[in-house]
Amino acid sequence: MDSLFDMRADLTIAGRIAALRLRGQMQYRSSFLMQIFGNFVVNFAEILVLWSLFQHFEDMGGWSLNEVIFLHGLSMVMFSLGDTVTNGVQAVPLLIRDGNFDRTLVRPMSSYVQSMVNEVSLRHVGLLGQGLLLLAVGMATVDSEWTLAKTAYMLVVIVSGAALFAALFTIEAILSFWTVNSIEAVNAFTYGGSELGQYPIHIFQRGMRLLFLYVVPVGFMTYYPSLYFLDKPDPLGLPGFSPFMAPIAACVFCIVVGRGWTFAIRHYRSTGS
Amino acid sequence: MESGTPAQSRFGADAVRKSPESGGEVVRLYLELARRSFQQQFAYRGATLAGIFVNGIFGIMIASVFLALYNSQSSGGMDDVQGWSKDQTITLVWINQSLLMTVYLWGWWEVTHNIQSGAIVNELLKPYDYFCYWLSRDLGRALAHSLIRGVPTFLTGIALFDVLAPETSARFVAFLVSIVLAVIVSFCLRFIVNLAGFWVLDYRGIAAMFTAVLNVLSGMLAPLAFLPDPVRIVADVLPFKAVIMTPNEVYLGQVPIWQGLGFQILWIGALVAIARKLMAIGERQLVVQGG
Repeated sequence: MDSLFDMRADLTIAGRIAALRLRGQMQYRSSFLMQIFGNFVVNFAEILVLWSLFQHFEDMGGWSLNEVIFLHGLSMVMFSLGDTVTNGVQAVPLLIRDGNFDRTLVRPMSSYVQSMVNEVSLRHVGLLGQGLLLLAVGMATVDSEWTLAKTAYMLVVIVSGAALFAALFTIEAILSFWTVNSIEAVNAFTYGGSELGQYPIHIFQRGMRLLFLYVVPVGFMTYYPSLYFLDKPDPLGLPGFSPFMAPIAACVFCIVVGRGWTFAIRHYRSTGS
Repeated sequence: MESGTPAQSRFGADAVRKSPESGGEVVRLYLELARRSFQQQFAYRGATLAGIFVNGIFGIMIASVFLALYNSQSSGGMDDVQGWSKDQTITLVWINQSLLMTVYLWGWWEVTHNIQSGAIVNELLKPYDYFCYWLSRDLGRALAHSLIRGVPTFLTGIALFDVLAPETSARFVAFLVSIVLAVIVSFCLRFIVNLAGFWVLDYRGIAAMFTAVLNVLSGMLAPLAFLPDPVRIVADVLPFKAVIMTPNEVYLGQVPIWQGLGFQILWIGALVAIARKLMAIGERQLVVQGG
C-alpha cells in the first residue's frame, strides 16, 4: 500500500516527532536520570549474583563466566534496542482500550510508524549502556581472536536481534486488537527471551530449546552467533551455517509479524464509546 | 477507593476515629476489606493464566541454569555447594517463583500514589487505621495470589523437576505459617518505602534501589549462602531475608522451625513500629496542594 517514496516521507516526519518527544522528556532531567540509574542498579545486582555463583561453581555447560557475561551483554543490547524502538507500539493496547487508536487510521502515515513514535522514551538506554559494557568486558576477557569479520557480523547480529525483540513486542500489540486479556503471556517471550538469550541454550531442556530456536528464534540471535564469535563447539550438532542464520531468522520472523500487523489493522473495529 | 468502607459521614469521621469502636466491629471491618481484596483477584482470569505461564517459563529457565552449574563439566558434577544440594536449590527456585506474586515484591506503590495525589487526606479522615486498612487488603490479596498463582506454579515445578517434599508434616504447616509472616514482613517493607512519598517527588529511583536490594538480599535470585561472605553476613540479619529465605529454610529443614518463625516475628514487631513512627512524622508535615 505504502510506496517506498511515501515511506521515506513518513520516516522524516516520524524522526521529527521522535525528536520532539525526546526533547519533552528531557525537560524532566532528574526524573530521567533517576530511571536510568534505577535500571542500572537492578541489572548490576543481577550481574553481581552471577559473579558470586561462579565463585562456587566451575562452569555453566562448559562456558566460563567471561563467556556467559559476553552472552549477557549481547542479549541485553538487543533487548534494550528492540524495546526502545517499540515503546510506542507497546502502548497500543492502552490506546485501543481507551478508543484512542482510531485517530491513527485517519492520518496519512503508516500506522506502524505512527505507533512507534507515539511514545519515545530513552528510559532503557541505561540497559543499553550496561549491555555494551558487559559486551566489552566479555570481548576483552574471553580467549578468542576478534577479527574484522567477527566484529562486522556482530553488528549484523545486534541489528537482527533488536528486530526480533521489536517484533516480539509488536505481537503483544497485535493481539490487543482482539483481546487485552492475557496478552501478558507474551512477556514469557520478550522478557523471558532476553533472559534465556543470556545463557548457553544447550543447558535447557529440549522443549525450551525447540521453542526458543524454531518458534521464537532467540537462540539464533545470541547463542549460535556466539559459538562463532567465541570459537565454541556446538553440543547440539546443528549444521555449520547455524551461527549465520541470525539475519535470515530475524527477517522471516519480522515479515510474519508485519503481516500480522497489517491483518490486525484491516480487521480493527473500534471499541467505540 | 473501592467500597468496603462503612457508610460514614466524612465530617463526623474524625470524631469516630478518635472514639474506639467495639473490638468486634473493627475486626469485622478489616475482615471485610480482606475478603473484597481477595475476591478482586479472581476477576482477571486471563491475566492469571498468562501470569502462571510466565512464572512457569522463568522457573524452568532458572532451574536449568542452576542444574547446569551443579553439573559443570570441568568439575564432573557436584552435589553440595555451600551446604546446598542440587535438589535443595531447585526446590528453592520453585518456591521462589511460587512466592513471587504472594509476597508481591515489585510494583506496589499505592500509598505513594495516594500521597502524591493528595488522596491520602481523605483516607486519613476515614474511620479506620490507615496501616491496618492496607495490611488487611494486602493479606486478602496474598491469600488469593497464593491460591491462583502460587499453587499452580509450584505444581508445575513438581511435575518437571526434582522438587523436594518437606521432611515432616509439621514442617509443611510451619512453612504455610512462615508464608503468612513473610507477606506481613513484605507488606511492612513496602509500606515503609512507600512512605518515602512524603519526602521525595520522584520515587522511581528509590523503587529501583529497593528492588535491587530485595532481589539480592532476600534470596530471590540465589540462596544467600552463594553470596560473598560480607554480603551474606549482613543479609542474614536484615529483614529482607524473612520475605523469601526464611520460608525456604523452614520448608527445607535448614533451620529449627521456631528460629525461622521467631526471626520473622521479631522483624514484624520492629517494622510495624518503624512504619507507624514514620507515618506519624509524615502525617505531621504533610502539605497537600489544592482542595
